[in-house]
Amino acid sequence: MSPSQILSVLVFAGAYVLIATERVHRVAAALGGAAIMLALGLTNGETAFHSLDAGVDWNVVFLLLGMMIIVGVIKQTGLFEYLAIAAAKRARGKPFAVLAMFVVITAVASAALDNVTTVLLIAPVTFLVCDRLGLNPIPFLIAEVLASNIGGTATLIGDPPNIIIASRAGLSFNDFLVHLAPFIVVLMVVFVVVCRWLFRDAFHYDEDRVAEVMALSEREAIRDKRLLWQSLLVLALVLLGFVLHSALHLEPSVVALLGAGLLVLISKVTTEDAIADVEWETLVFFMGLFVMVGALVKTGVIDEVSETLAGAVGGEPLVAVMGLLVISALLSAVVDNIPYVATMSPIVGELVAAQGHTPQAESMWWSLALGADLGGNATAVGASANVVVLGLAARNGTPISFWQFTRYGVVVAGLSILLAAPYLWLRYFVLA
Amino acid sequence: MRARDLAEEYPLVQLTDDALTAARLIADQRRPGVVVVDAEGRPVTVLPGSQVLRFIIPGYVQEDPSLARVYDEKGSAQACISKLEGRTVKELLPPKEKRYELPKVSGDATVIECAAMMARLHSPLLLVSDDDTVHGVVTTSHLLKVILSTTGKAP
Repeated sequence: MSPSQILSVLVFAGAYVLIATERVHRVAAALGGAAIMLALGLTNGETAFHSLDAGVDWNVVFLLLGMMIIVGVIKQTGLFEYLAIAAAKRARGKPFAVLAMFVVITAVASAALDNVTTVLLIAPVTFLVCDRLGLNPIPFLIAEVLASNIGGTATLIGDPPNIIIASRAGLSFNDFLVHLAPFIVVLMVVFVVVCRWLFRDAFHYDEDRVAEVMALSEREAIRDKRLLWQSLLVLALVLLGFVLHSALHLEPSVVALLGAGLLVLISKVTTEDAIADVEWETLVFFMGLFVMVGALVKTGVIDEVSETLAGAVGGEPLVAVMGLLVISALLSAVVDNIPYVATMSPIVGELVAAQGHTPQAESMWWSLALGADLGGNATAVGASANVVVLGLAARNGTPISFWQFTRYGVVVAGLSILLAAPYLWLRYFVLA
Repeated sequence: MRARDLAEEYPLVQLTDDALTAARLIADQRRPGVVVVDAEGRPVTVLPGSQVLRFIIPGYVQEDPSLARVYDEKGSAQACISKLEGRTVKELLPPKEKRYELPKVSGDATVIECAAMMARLHSPLLLVSDDDTVHGVVTTSHLLKVILSTTGKAP
């Protein structure tokens, strides 16, 4: 290895350890790492800001920004509260039926919105409905966050790692719908059935308390009907834009930004309110991360790692696909899956290219997505949404311990990977 | 005019008193809050009515205005009362590190001193005491009335 390669690996590893151990704020670690890479000349301004392969992936940054603005406006409509209360009433307060409906709503919403926002929206209604039914909200919250991570795996915009993978691999919104969504639908059915067994002690039905749920008025949750219709219209247009983005020759980021702009333009929401929910920290974190990974690309580290890995799998794509699935799941269970996927994407890109872009080789992208997204369910710190729900639960007087979450999460993540492996094998190696 | 002249007799509750009683005291006499004293009768803090509301309204409803609208009035009232039953005044108060600073002035404090203290601490009540002698409590409404009458703008 050359001195510049050794230096870039050292800086990257140092920043990664700081991010994983949370010894310093992750934004500080990513920006600090990026600054050192630039200061040491391991990358430069031209590469960091303008290179498609080794610079900040602006598609990812602006897609996230656009979706955050749209979600921030939708949040203000009360749509989620309406849907969840209507579902609880439709389930006539029967605990398992309520849980099943809540997890399905969460999974579907997570496919269109980001996971953290989805759980932030569903958790308050869950507290309310459980309070009224005299139920412990913890099993419901855990099931919802697990469903959120599963549902988010289905689409390009559902989980940040998917956005990175799509951009780096040149995959479209429809590619995700075709390759991942069918499996996620099956996994969700299995997950709902498993919930019946996993949380079997939580379903105490008290007929007297059902009236308290039936007395809730879901219609009152909609505070601004006009804004609701405007938001739904724009969301529908944006989703349509994602489906047609290849035909329209528009990047997903452009579609999201157009949607965000249109929503701000036609609604009476002020600009301040519209951008209030933008997670600037996350966007800056992504930028720092891309500069660091870009330095690894520029110094040739990624090429060397890819060549070594290609040699290790010996031209056997099935070994690479299964190895990637399991290793991604294990690593994502304990460290943030965003930096992991940001680092692995160029490596997987090289491996896919080395194997001639065959369908079997291309399935490595799906293996990476499934492993990283679903592995995050294994522990309480495996995904951002898990951490957020633990915080919400503690604030509302029903704390969820790390192990309380993890003992359910490990089962669901393990089951997901066990099902993902035969799916990948059958679809891309047996039936291809 | 000095604080001791403005002070009025005011109901006190002990930390161990029933929370529902304290809430009723605020409600029945339309007071902005009550003064909380310890077992020896020393003032500890002020329990404003808004803190009672913070206790009985779940955090998730406070944070989500859409959820606050879906409650039926009867059901929500019952839920609120049930949260106070069997609780003490101490349980209504925020944790010690977040507890309100006791808004207190000496009997010699001027009207503006009283107003400044209440404004700084966002407190609807101000305790007037010298050492262990409690002269009473100044309320926002009484203080405003005095200030307005001084400028001749009282109704």
